[in-house]
Amino acid sequence: MNLSLSIKYYLIKPEKYAMINLSKHERTEKILMKPLLITKKILSLILLLILCFFAGILLGSVPLSPKSVLRCLFGLDKETTTYVLINTVRLPRAMGACLAGMGLSTSGVILQSVMNNSLASPNTIGVNSGAGFAVMLSLMFGYSKTLGISAAAFFGSLVATLSIYGLAYMADSSRTTIILAGITVSSFLNAGINTIKLLDTDITINLTTFMIGSLSGLTFETLQFPAIAIFIALILSFLLARSINILCLGDETARSLGLHVTATRLTLLVLSSMLSGCVVSYAGLLSFVGLIIPHICRRLFGNDARYLLPCSALLGASFVLACDILGRVLFAPFELPAGILLSFVGGPFFLYLLFQKKGGRRVNA
Amino acid sequence: MLEFCHVNISSGLVPILQDISACFQKGEITTIIGPNGCGKTTLLQCLNGASKVTSGSVFLDGADYFAMPLRERARKLSFLPQVRTIIPALPVKTLVEHGRFPHLGFARRKTNKDKTIVETAMNFTQITPYANQYADTLSGGIRQRAFFSMTLAQDCNYIVLDEPTTYLDLNAQRSFMEMILQLKAQGKTIILVLHDIGQALRISDTLVIMQDRKIAAIGTPKVCLKQHIIETVFNVQLKKFSDEDGSYYFFY
Repeated sequence: MNLSLSIKYYLIKPEKYAMINLSKHERTEKILMKPLLITKKILSLILLLILCFFAGILLGSVPLSPKSVLRCLFGLDKETTTYVLINTVRLPRAMGACLAGMGLSTSGVILQSVMNNSLASPNTIGVNSGAGFAVMLSLMFGYSKTLGISAAAFFGSLVATLSIYGLAYMADSSRTTIILAGITVSSFLNAGINTIKLLDTDITINLTTFMIGSLSGLTFETLQFPAIAIFIALILSFLLARSINILCLGDETARSLGLHVTATRLTLLVLSSMLSGCVVSYAGLLSFVGLIIPHICRRLFGNDARYLLPCSALLGASFVLACDILGRVLFAPFELPAGILLSFVGGPFFLYLLFQKKGGRRVNA
Repeated sequence: MLEFCHVNISSGLVPILQDISACFQKGEITTIIGPNGCGKTTLLQCLNGASKVTSGSVFLDGADYFAMPLRERARKLSFLPQVRTIIPALPVKTLVEHGRFPHLGFARRKTNKDKTIVETAMNFTQITPYANQYADTLSGGIRQRAFFSMTLAQDCNYIVLDEPTTYLDLNAQRSFMEMILQLKAQGKTIILVLHDIGQALRISDTLVIMQDRKIAAIGTPKVCLKQHIIETVFNVQLKKFSDEDGSYYFFY
């Protein structure tokens, strides 16, 4: 009996033998971490994004044929109504969704790393609300140019981020306290948003869709400035990926390794504010993307920011695109704002994450 | 040589140490000992910025240590902190690779040399079998060895270890001391804080004895024993046992 067992073990390849002692969870982790699979996964994520993007242009209240869409996208057709429809409605919307997903999920990854808190995200710590409040303020003062709104949103989210972080840092408080403070600040600012809207009836923005987050009615013009800012912030944060990794080791170790901890942390907070602020400036308070996408990606790709950042950006973009499409298609001709779908899908998933502790990858808990 | 010249150090805004001068010779093992709260950790922590030097200066091989860019410091002196509030959920190998951070250029690409150094560091502390395990799932001893490997992967001539063996069992402590002696044989300069005075006496070339936030004495173990400094500072009695392998000390 013993002999047969040892022969059986012997026949298994040595590397597999080494894995027998590991738990199921560790085994999957080991397999997932292989570089080849990571390239494969990134490629499939890119493919998924392209698919979602194409579907985002194809599907909607007016049915289009794939062939005509392709003709328009490659510039072979510049006169038909299809071209006008794509160019003025569907393409900006798809791009907006794309950028929103990328911006919010990257911002989420950054916030989680900088605060060493797996519950941090633009939404949970009140950054989005800060941006939203600033947008409302600038609208109240009659400033409605896209550049101004984006800038206001950026400063709003920056102030919110820094104040939350400052509070947490000064009080040397626990992770829970940061989140509680975030929720409090968030509801405070939301009250501010509501007050402004109720008092100032001239504001043209639709409060419900703004609070939920919606991508309808986007044009290239409104997207122009946020797109550039988001793009720059994305590239900068990808360049800082290795520093993010070092930061996650804790302040003392990071400093011993020669990292300017405070400067890096501030830069990252500014970048994440830029990302989430710009998204809020055109899409409203989209929730949950910044929280769940980083979590999914941590499970799929591990905690290495060099993979985590681009993967979250790709997956986040696909997720928002998919939710936006669903919102348009499910009850057509009525349209649900993307934010509602995000919460419908994101809410249960987040609960699942909360209650399934074992086997989950924590940030640095 | 690492030289502290009339240094005042404060932690946060609270001044802790005043007018400290000390010298750590190159190629030696220097151990700082002293009762709890005498400022050992604070003294060393100024090297990685966890405590602040308010006046005076520190020289590393004749160059002003605090005038150096952080990255250059990290290439010359590596530091293993005492307490760790964060245990990153990373595979051990990735953790050790982070030790190469100060050496990487802007592109942050690892060369073959970096890979060899990481492998050597992991073999040295014998954690290669755990390369793919997550640091937060390891036992305390192995985790400490993983962080030690990271410190070694920095490939610095000066290695500062703040109480590296405090939470380790006897066998792990012994192998840690052996590693430290091996490092000395490789020509590294080692500065460490220990609570086990017997160990300190056995392995160090120089002892720095601290008391009440001041340096009480600096000298070789022999001199320190002869002058009964340890007994007075720690308020203990000492018994010496000798056999063919060497001398052992017992404190009570």
